[in-house]
Formats: sequence, structure tokens, C-alpha cells
Amino acid sequence: MNLKISALEFVEQVKNGNISAEDFVSATIDRIKNIDEKLHAYLQVNSKAIEQASQIDKKIKSGEKVGKCFGMPISVKDNICVKHSKTTCASKMLENFVAPYDATVISKLKEQDAVFVGKVNLDEFAMGLTTEFSAYGPSRNPWNTDYVPGGSSGGSAVAVSAFECVASLGSDTGGSVRNPASFCSTVGYKPTYGLISRYGLISYANSIEQIGPITRTVKDTAFLLNILSGMDSHDNTTIDNGQVDYLSCIDSGIEGKKIGIIQEMIGEGIDPSVLSATNNAVSKLEGLGAICESVSIDMVKYSVASYYTITATEAGSNLARYDNLRYGYDFPVEGFEFNSYISKARTKFGPEVIRRMILGGFVPSAGHAGKYFLKALKVKSKLTKEVSEAFKKYDYLVAPTVPVLPFKIGEKIDDPIALFLVDINTVLSNLTGIPSISVPYSISNGLPIGIQLMAKPNDDKSLLQVARALESTVRLPEVPV
Amino acid sequence: MVTEEEIEQVAKFMKIDVHNHKEYVEKVHNMIDFFDILDSAGVEEEEVTMNDLPLSTLREDKHIPFEDKLIEKLKNFKGTYVRAPKMI
Repeated sequence: MNLKISALEFVEQVKNGNISAEDFVSATIDRIKNIDEKLHAYLQVNSKAIEQASQIDKKIKSGEKVGKCFGMPISVKDNICVKHSKTTCASKMLENFVAPYDATVISKLKEQDAVFVGKVNLDEFAMGLTTEFSAYGPSRNPWNTDYVPGGSSGGSAVAVSAFECVASLGSDTGGSVRNPASFCSTVGYKPTYGLISRYGLISYANSIEQIGPITRTVKDTAFLLNILSGMDSHDNTTIDNGQVDYLSCIDSGIEGKKIGIIQEMIGEGIDPSVLSATNNAVSKLEGLGAICESVSIDMVKYSVASYYTITATEAGSNLARYDNLRYGYDFPVEGFEFNSYISKARTKFGPEVIRRMILGGFVPSAGHAGKYFLKALKVKSKLTKEVSEAFKKYDYLVAPTVPVLPFKIGEKIDDPIALFLVDINTVLSNLTGIPSISVPYSISNGLPIGIQLMAKPNDDKSLLQVARALESTVRLPEVPV
Repeated sequence: MVTEEEIEQVAKFMKIDVHNHKEYVEKVHNMIDFFDILDSAGVEEEEVTMNDLPLSTLREDKHIPFEDKLIEKLKNFKGTYVRAPKMI
């Protein structure tokens, strides 16, 4: 069974009767059993996946109406609730938490007959860039297993890259879909803020995060966006996208489009091979008829500090619920005073979560809020204005997704600031709410490089067109795992 | 300049025990020092913009009856009372 196909190719083959959903899902589960011990993408595998796929085959055979996914095997980042499944956020704090409801994205995919093959690894509570902060051990990059897969949706990117599923749902707060997509040579999409419901996504930073798909091709992303996007009464930050079809006209090209190359994202500290790949990508875009020019967005220099200040504040609030009274792991109350009871519960958090919670208490506190939190909000506002100005002149913005190549496991884990700076190219679109996508572009010394494209808010359809255009110029080797 | 005592005080408010974990305090200190870059952003006159969400995006405010006794679902429910940690 050939697992190395895209989501759309899978749908076509099942529709045509060339393969059955059950056989494909069964082969996917076998693949997971064979290689996941080495890669550790999965935290849980759905033992009923094959049976669920066979039910869909029965529907197909009997002529019943079948959803658009036709039994497609999809993995889900383990901070998205799937009813009756453990949802751990890769934390000991939620080790035994079973979700009592489906996230909206899960309900939508179930309605379209997707099959969830399992829950995949992440940095604990989505706080991290490498998946090394998972309480259950890091995932490994399938291109070189000594290297990080990126994060926090590392498990999702590994699973898609290594053919352990056809597509995956991740979440992106500061680059957590795009960063691992770049590091693992997959497509990673962060939609316009509000395009996809966050209902059922365990909160880290509500004002910024979005669920986003990780897929093998840009068309697959468009296919999933058609299913996942739209208003949701459970999430009042969702927006009406007017029932846009993201797949139609995706190959329309970019003749005459203007693209701004963000100078602050290709400056000091960029890896030479990443810079070379970016310049090459710009040439390819020009070859397709686009006009590419440099653009400066001054606030990029302060965007990382602004991002981490704002998200730490929101995280400090969102994670306050983990006190063993409502959520958390179970130990008896006897012998504890209230504050020490909660402190003991919170020893179950990992080091990065603890650091961010302390930061989240500090930066908005009296005497410090003006210097940190308020200033961070002002940087966010100014950044939004600068980006909005840029989009008066340009249709899209381009930059490398990550300024460095994937690095070795353990290399940066003891240096939080070095890790923060890996995010410098991705946080802009979270802070401003604009859509952005990482397209796998090249391989350097066996390690992937992704190129990031960005568009104005609500211009997701157009963004997918330029991403598709860039993707069409690329021929990448197969993952060596 | 942020002191370690301030960080430890905030950790106490967040109900996080850092007494035996000096490394946390040191790394948090480094992170806060990194955030000092915001001082040179020149945004003092900038206004903070907010996204207005119209009331139409909220779901209808209607009463949905719930018959279960929530108190019985608490894990420390002992039949006639709920056992909780001492408040001192």
C-alpha cells in the first residue's frame, strides 16, 4: 500500500475504488507501529481507527452519502479535545484527563468521515519550539532523528512528514504550526485569526492562537480549510468567511502580484543556507511574474519580546485553573493547607510552563505592567499598523519561516532566550492576526528549509494561491525515514 | 532592575513553589531582562487597539435546564459535604 500520497489523492483513490479506507488506515497503523518508536510522534493511537474506516467503506459500498474525507487518517495535536479520548497537552497535569466533548474542528471532520488515528506530541501546553518540553519525551525529526522536529506541533509535523497520517491538526500561537512544518518539510498553515474555531482547543493564549492544518501539499491545506473554517456559536471570535471555496482557482498564478521581502527577517543571525534558499525562492516568484521588493517593518525587532510578554500574561491566567480542584492530577486534600495544596499540584508542570506562568504573573503586575505588558500591547498595535501599511503596497509578504536550520536535540533547551529568537519570523502574523503559510522549499545538508508567505487579514484564499505557485517550482527529495 | 525577591514573591502569588529551584528564578530573570528591549521601541505615544466583537457573534442567552446535581460530581464529595484543603 502506497502511503506516500496527498489527502486529495487519497480521496480520489478511495472514490475510484482503487483502495479502501480500511486498507489504507490499516497500513497507516502498521507504519506507526514500525517507525514511531524511533520518532515518537504519537502519544496515543486510536485502537478503533481500522474499524471506523471499515464502517466508512460500508457506507461507500452501500451508496450512502459519504463525507468529503472518505476515511482519511488524520492525527490531532494533543491539546485539541476529542470526546472520550485522553487530552494531555503533553503534561503530567492532564495525564488522565478525558475530554467530555469534541472540539468544533473535530466535530466538523467527523461529519466529513475523517478517521482520527491518534493524538500527537507537542511541547507541554503548546509552550515551546522543539517538542523537547513534552512531559512524555521529545519527538524526533524524520529527516535526521538527532535533530528537533520543531514545535510546539512537532508531533503533527513528524507524523505527516513520515507518512504516519495524511494530515494533522496543530495549533499556532507564535509559529507552532509553521515552525515544525518548516523543520520537517511539510506545509503548515496559520489562518486569519477567527477563521477556525478555537472551541475545544485547550487555551494557552486566546487572543493570538489558531488551530491550523499540517499537510503534504498546499491543495490539501485548502481542502481542509474548506471543512474547518467558518463561524461557530461556541467561539465568539470566529468570523464569517462568506463560504469561500479555498480550492477553487488555486492554480490561478501570481502574474503581476507584488511581494514584499521583510528585511528584518533576513538580517543578522540568519543561516547562510536559509538566506540562499530565500533568495532563490524570491527569484522563482519573480520568474512566475511577481514583482518582489524589499520592505522594512521596524517593529519586527521588538515582536518577540512583545509576543512573549502578552502570551505569558494570558498563559498565567489560562493555566490558573490547574489547581487539582477543577483540573489536574488527583491527590487527597488531607494534610494540606489551600495554598500549599495548589503549589503541590503545580509541581506537575514542566520547567518551561512554570517559567512562563511566573513571567505571566510578573509582567502585568502592579509596578511592572506599564514597563512590560502595556508596552508589549503598544508594540503589537504599532506592528499591526506597519503591516497594514505594507499591505497597501504589497499583495503578500515573504520571509524564511525560521532563520536557522533545525538544530540538535538538547542544543538550545537550556537557553530560553535563544529559543525565543527562533520565533522571530513567525510571531508577526500571530500578533497581527494575518494568515501565513510555510511552504517546504529546499533541503540543506539533509535538513529542511521552509519559506513563509503572508497575506492581509481574510485574504486566505489568495495566500493559498501564491503558496501553490511557489510550491509548483519545488521538487524535494523523499524523507529518508 | 528586577530582583530575585520580586520574582519569588510573584511566584508565591502564582502559587508556584520555587524555593528549591533557583534555576527557575535565574532563567526568569534573564527572560525579563530580554523584555527590557521594549523600552527602546518608542511606543509611548501609541494607543492600544482592541478588536471590537459585535454582540451578534455571541450565542443566544437562553436558559438550558441542567438536571444533574453538580456537587455530586466533585471528586471530594463525601455524601453530605465536600472535603477541601484548609484555608488559613
